[in-house]
Amino acid sequence: MRGGPGSSPCTSRGGGLVARVPRAVETEAETRRPDPPRGRESLTDTGPAPSGGGALELVPTRVPVLADHPLVQGPRFRRLKIGAGHRLDVKASGVFVLGIGHGNKLLTDLYNCHLTKVYTVGGLFGKATDDFSDTGKLIEKTTFDHITREKLERILAVIQGTNHKALLMYSNIDMKTQEAYELAVKGLIRPMDKSPPIITAIRCLQFALPEFQLEIHCLHETQQYLRKVVHEIGLELKSSAVCTHVRRTRDGVFTLDDALPRTQWDLRSIQDAIRNCQLKVETEIEKTLGHRDNSPVHQLDVQTAESAEGGHP
Amino acid sequence: SFVKPDAGWKKPRRIQPTPYRLETEEKISSAACGYGFTLLASNTTDITKVWGTGLNKDSQLGFQRSRRDQTKGYDYVLEPSPIPLPLEKPQQTRVLQVSCGRAHSLVLTDSEGVFTMGNNSYGQCGRKVIEDEIYSESYLIHQLKEFDSRVVQVACGQDHSLFRTKKGSVYACGWGADGQTGLGHYNITSVPTKLHGDIAGVNIIQVSSYGDCCLAVSDEGDVFGWGNSEYLQLASVTETTQVNVPRHLPFKIGKIKEAACGGTGNAVLTEEGNIFVWGYGILGKGPNLTETAVPEMIPPSLFGWSDFNSDIFVAHIRCGLGQFAALTNRGELFVWGKNLRGCLGTGRMEDQYFPWRVTVPGEVVDVACGVDHMVSLVKSF
Repeated sequence: MRGGPGSSPCTSRGGGLVARVPRAVETEAETRRPDPPRGRESLTDTGPAPSGGGALELVPTRVPVLADHPLVQGPRFRRLKIGAGHRLDVKASGVFVLGIGHGNKLLTDLYNCHLTKVYTVGGLFGKATDDFSDTGKLIEKTTFDHITREKLERILAVIQGTNHKALLMYSNIDMKTQEAYELAVKGLIRPMDKSPPIITAIRCLQFALPEFQLEIHCLHETQQYLRKVVHEIGLELKSSAVCTHVRRTRDGVFTLDDALPRTQWDLRSIQDAIRNCQLKVETEIEKTLGHRDNSPVHQLDVQTAESAEGGHP
Repeated sequence: SFVKPDAGWKKPRRIQPTPYRLETEEKISSAACGYGFTLLASNTTDITKVWGTGLNKDSQLGFQRSRRDQTKGYDYVLEPSPIPLPLEKPQQTRVLQVSCGRAHSLVLTDSEGVFTMGNNSYGQCGRKVIEDEIYSESYLIHQLKEFDSRVVQVACGQDHSLFRTKKGSVYACGWGADGQTGLGHYNITSVPTKLHGDIAGVNIIQVSSYGDCCLAVSDEGDVFGWGNSEYLQLASVTETTQVNVPRHLPFKIGKIKEAACGGTGNAVLTEEGNIFVWGYGILGKGPNLTETAVPEMIPPSLFGWSDFNSDIFVAHIRCGLGQFAALTNRGELFVWGKNLRGCLGTGRMEDQYFPWRVTVPGEVVDVACGVDHMVSLVKSF
């Protein structure tokens, strides 16, 4: 798990984070005992009564309960099972969903919901590299003065159109039914099974030659696929382009606001985050998978966590 | 027997389910699909301005001299072949528009009126009906010039022709049994005659017809209809199944910009860019809506509109006999309707019950729909 699949340098971020978070949680849980130490009442003998008489008296005293002592109880969290959501490249940054303990079951449910993810992708015209990013080996350099925002937007419209068709095709719905028509009107048709990467929406956020920024909503993609899309946009515009950064701004129901930055990777914030997102996750799973499976949703007990924006300033 | 066309390396196939690029010598500015044949026109000043391909049994593509026998003509033309027009000034006149019906075609020029060719059994070519005339291998191309002003648009119904002039009046000739000539009777008309009724004095900016029903749009956004109403096309104003005088259709859907008439269903485009459909058949709102007398709007989200892209709207609407085509402002083509022999271009052979995008390698500028084929004019990126 540490190295991720394969031993290439471009490994996924899951391994490292998944090892760090439980350690953070465990060490913190040990040092902070949230509950005030309990006490119990007990009656002890004190010795001969001051008033004399030789009889022993029972006086109530407060004695600490040892059951709560950390040395007796042991560490609060042992062997936390943490699972990762959709993969995020080492070179990419953004929202990365983790599940703790029982939340791992919710992760599979969320995966089956096939919700879209939103990325902000930055690109640079004029270069082409072998791995489509700006750190790769340079293959060619081209001019880009002829590129205008209108041309870029036309290409984006084409991409959106062809992907729209793919969306409808892979969703495996019979086009002849009224149900298919209604879903198409609402825009809810999407593939609920495996499919090649599909871009549901793409638009240009910023355009300042040679740089440009796109917002991409997609399904079943990998970050490398998005870099390839940037490269292909460059080719379509009769120039070349490389991808400078990929940042996931939304993964299903989890947005940047819900995500915890690196400074907040501690127990309290994680617990708060879980609590805040619980309802959202429930409603989304309910809505999409609905009456298909009841138990995991209703029994869930606050165990889904989110984690942070990784590095790459 | 067939003579192999020049492009002998192309294998003949019966069905073309996806858009196929047709190589032409000139840039085509107008295209029209008839019932089994196509006309392509360019607005060049060269001698050859119009090409035709397809059925030619009624000389709807003019006389196509056979290469084997110089006295005979082709009944089937297998690749776009030039149609010679008897122009007075062939190197100055430009062809503005072409239109095709079941077995006749109209060619509109800028200074020499309208040329008609093909079947004239009902006077649809605007000339007197000659009994027992043989239409195949005929050289006859008739020229029409007597209108109140210059003709700016021609539209062909199945067996009738409509002419719209610059002054906003509409002329019609041809078969009238369904009242599609709009002249107040159900007989055939062999000379283009002006229409009155509710469009008298109204400045009409567009006419449309393909089957036996006709629609006209005025400059104020009103729509007028006449002709066949067996499929509830005009049921909003009348219970009769034939209307032979243009009637105003009182729809409260906003100002109408464009109308398109199909065989059994009609569609209009409003100023906001929404499409309203009514009539019978596959109307585009799912398999459950098969007929309606009152226009129903097709949700704009089916054309790609969303909160994300809220500036997409439909710019043009066209109708074939059983299918509809809509062009958005982004140059995308959406089709729906009966998919006869793959005419929708979706790649599948099933009928399409709601608007579906056709993948075309370029921006679609114009589209023409026929009975079982479609032609689109595309600008490359």
